[in-house]
Amino acid sequence: MEISRDAYRAIEDIVGPDNVTDDPALLDSYAFEVMAETVRPNQSHFMPRPWATVLPGSTEEVQAVTKVCNKYKIKLKPLSTGWYHWAAPLTDNEPTVQFDLRRMNRILEIDEKNRFAIIEPYVIGAQLQAEVIKRGLNFAIIGAGSSCSVLAGACAYSGVGPGAFNMGGQAENLLGQEWVTPGGDIIRTGSLSSGCGWFCSEGPGPSLRAVTRGVLGSRGGLGTFTKCAIKLSHYPGPPIMEAQGRLPGYRMPIHENFRVYSIGAPDWDAWANCYHEIYDNRIGYIFHKQFGFAGANIAPAMWLTYIDPTKTMNDVETAVHDPELQEVFKEARISFQFVMAGNSTDDIQLQDKILDAILANTGCFKVKRYCEKDFAEFTNMYMQRMGHKHCNYMWVGGYMGSWMQWGTPDFVKGYAPAAVAAFDRDQKSHLLVECGGDALMGPGSALPGGGQTALEQFVSYDSADNASIKACIKHMEDAIVDSRAIGYPPGKESIYLQVGWDQERVFDAWAKMPQQFIFNFQRKIKAAFDPNNLGDRNYQWLPEDWAEKRKVETNKESHVGLGH
Amino acid sequence: MSLEDLRLDAMRCTRCAYCKWIPFDLVKSWRFSKGCPSIEYGKFHSYSAGGRLITALSLMDGRSTVTEKVIDTVFKCTLCGQCDVSCKMCRYDLEPLADMRELRSTFVQDGHELPQLQPVLDGLRKEFNMLGQSKKQRGNWIADLQVKDLTKEKAKIVFHAGCRYSFDGELGHVARTAVKILQKAGVDFGIMGKQENCCGGHAYDMGYQKDFRTRADFNLKAWTEAGVDTVITPCSDCYFAFKRLYTAEAGSTIKVIHMVEFVDQLIKAGQLKFTKPVAMTVTYHDPCHLGRQGEEYVPWNGKEKKIFGQAVCYEPPRPRYNGAFGIYEPPRDVLKAIPGLELVEMERIKEAGWCCGAGGGASQAYPEFSRWTATERIEEAKSTGADAIVSACPWCERNFLDATSADGTKMKVLDIMELVEQAL
Repeated sequence: MEISRDAYRAIEDIVGPDNVTDDPALLDSYAFEVMAETVRPNQSHFMPRPWATVLPGSTEEVQAVTKVCNKYKIKLKPLSTGWYHWAAPLTDNEPTVQFDLRRMNRILEIDEKNRFAIIEPYVIGAQLQAEVIKRGLNFAIIGAGSSCSVLAGACAYSGVGPGAFNMGGQAENLLGQEWVTPGGDIIRTGSLSSGCGWFCSEGPGPSLRAVTRGVLGSRGGLGTFTKCAIKLSHYPGPPIMEAQGRLPGYRMPIHENFRVYSIGAPDWDAWANCYHEIYDNRIGYIFHKQFGFAGANIAPAMWLTYIDPTKTMNDVETAVHDPELQEVFKEARISFQFVMAGNSTDDIQLQDKILDAILANTGCFKVKRYCEKDFAEFTNMYMQRMGHKHCNYMWVGGYMGSWMQWGTPDFVKGYAPAAVAAFDRDQKSHLLVECGGDALMGPGSALPGGGQTALEQFVSYDSADNASIKACIKHMEDAIVDSRAIGYPPGKESIYLQVGWDQERVFDAWAKMPQQFIFNFQRKIKAAFDPNNLGDRNYQWLPEDWAEKRKVETNKESHVGLGH
Repeated sequence: MSLEDLRLDAMRCTRCAYCKWIPFDLVKSWRFSKGCPSIEYGKFHSYSAGGRLITALSLMDGRSTVTEKVIDTVFKCTLCGQCDVSCKMCRYDLEPLADMRELRSTFVQDGHELPQLQPVLDGLRKEFNMLGQSKKQRGNWIADLQVKDLTKEKAKIVFHAGCRYSFDGELGHVARTAVKILQKAGVDFGIMGKQENCCGGHAYDMGYQKDFRTRADFNLKAWTEAGVDTVITPCSDCYFAFKRLYTAEAGSTIKVIHMVEFVDQLIKAGQLKFTKPVAMTVTYHDPCHLGRQGEEYVPWNGKEKKIFGQAVCYEPPRPRYNGAFGIYEPPRDVLKAIPGLELVEMERIKEAGWCCGAGGGASQAYPEFSRWTATERIEEAKSTGADAIVSACPWCERNFLDATSADGTKMKVLDIMELVEQAL
């Protein structure tokens, strides 16, 4: 399907011929997205193909192209760094222009005094962190890693990660934002809108954070965010993260006022108690259940192989059976990574004492091998920069996160054993990576100071093997049933699967939900900012009286997932 | 080889875009965080390694056809291998650089060629060099130096100057300097003179594997007849071709040494002593073919096997080329041994080094792109405060010389051998 020549020429006039394409092969590089194979017919890796891809270089160009889209009734879908199947167009044979925002890649300002940075969409976590730590500042890189757009995590999704416990998530740290609505208006929010600068999200001026983010982040479904300000936090470490050693297991020496530990728990109760006590005592800087995502039956073998540059995946198989590693397997089975940062030697020593007391109180312990110098320095690099996140895909290229639900540690420990048992069961098909039922990962807290954690089950499948892909899909469908059986709403798998549904099916599902007022409210927002319906269903809304017209009955067991 | 051979890698790519950046752990600034010249210049995702794999999948599934734009995405790349390094931060099962080479080769086989490369290939086929110069002039660089002619005499070691040092008048003195160092060290070696041939490495990277094999067969035969068991070269592109491609594609067992490795060995053995200080601050540019692509070749003929149900490994274990063990320290050790010389590092070095822009046929096919890439590197070199950017490859040096002369930059461009000569 081709975009009309008139529309194409109009876009070309705005951005120049080098910054727009409708070449099918080039467009396919935007249709291809991870996890597409779990929702598309015949396990295709391609989502619907955009009809053109545009590389705008400024807010004004975004606005001008958006107006062309309104004129010609072409859907628009922006992406920053671009990842996940929902980043592509969602509907086949629908005229869609994809914005690739990579030309908008500047850090516009770092305000050290007021502690915020103003950035464009294609600034990634690694870039921003490298610049702000030179000034003694930092921010929480999202769990998806430092390859991701900071703006996307702040404006269009609910970006949280290992540093959120201390510094808050990016969504929370969003100050002002500049937004080109699907209708083509430029809106500035927070104090920015009143000409007072970017320092405050709540004004003077309208705070539209809740409006633009909606229930789950607009994820490209409600126009284009072209700039934002992100709050920064104090960083007590050195001004440069100096990686040492050989690829891939780079290490970072541990600063004298830092400590890097991996903490093991004998059971889920002790794990939850330890989290609560960490919250109560407000110690810690980076707090994340990270390395377990490789699966409790393999993870230690995998990570200790990974940090040796001479080894390959074949060595993991050997290491699993290494008698010397069996103690690590035992200790690390339920474990998390914990980096503490002090403002002084006294401060870090006090935190150390508090941590020791917490461990004594809860029965938790330091995982000895993981706390040795080589591995601790690797952990230090990994957790502070989050530059190895695509180890998610290390086994064979397919990964899908299931079960994830946000809540208190007690809430999360309520589903963790069921998630483990269900994944154990599903691995018996031999069509998923058999890593043990506990491949759970998640931030220590999504909120600064603690209170809300989550665990996501890392399901790995061969994305080049249809049988393996189908096994993953079955696991996703089963996880919804399994979680419901223990009284929990479905997790991320539900959101992922919905990406492949047609519009009517999605609306029907939302119409069943007891909280459908959210979708009805968001319809009004969409009507105000997207009068020609050019955004897609990533911004979730429900047509008026849909439930009545379709005779869909509300079902109190229906949930949108993710605990929102 | 066909597009189908790329299918598994394409389907297992996750579009994570690591291939566009240097390894994230090594990022020290916004300005010098990018890793891939091709995506930075071409901008659309198809100009990245991951994007090219998607193009291959799209073509093999009949979703699209080869257009001029597609050919541009496939060839406008220096094959520097930064994508390969960054991809392998997290993956053991993907080979982006090898895939890029095979994609080009497939395009050439299918007739999707770049017209601007044809004169270069014509020159290679007729004159046996990449600069289109008369083969009769080859060997003239040696001038009045007395060196064994291995077409008439025997020696275990051949000094291979390479096309660029042989024909680029501005750089030929580097080869002569290297020869003088070998003579001073008492090495019994010779040259092939007019019979020296292009290594074929550039042709291989351009997608012309048959031309590469012709050159490789010629060189190996000539060396065998001369009784050669070791080749020393000051050219990093030749070094890569001999060390990796000749062994992999032509079964060569010839030992391959880069001139900087040799000088480093001489210094460490006490056979070469510097006597004169060189008061200069320099920064070192890692040539891609000596650095991240300079790892030892390990023969492998195996197949994929699954462990833990679905995880991929190989039987026997597949060698892992990820730049971890490239030739990084010998050139630095040589520079550090020169009295009075200060080495200051750029941000992107060793496995994360930004390309000079000359590789993969880019300087011949896309001179603007190639020069832009070189200028980016010069800007990084300037940020260190160095007086000179030093390298160990004539192709890098030529591109840097062109870039600095085009924009009037005063930064000097030097080969390590020039500094060694000054210090002797």
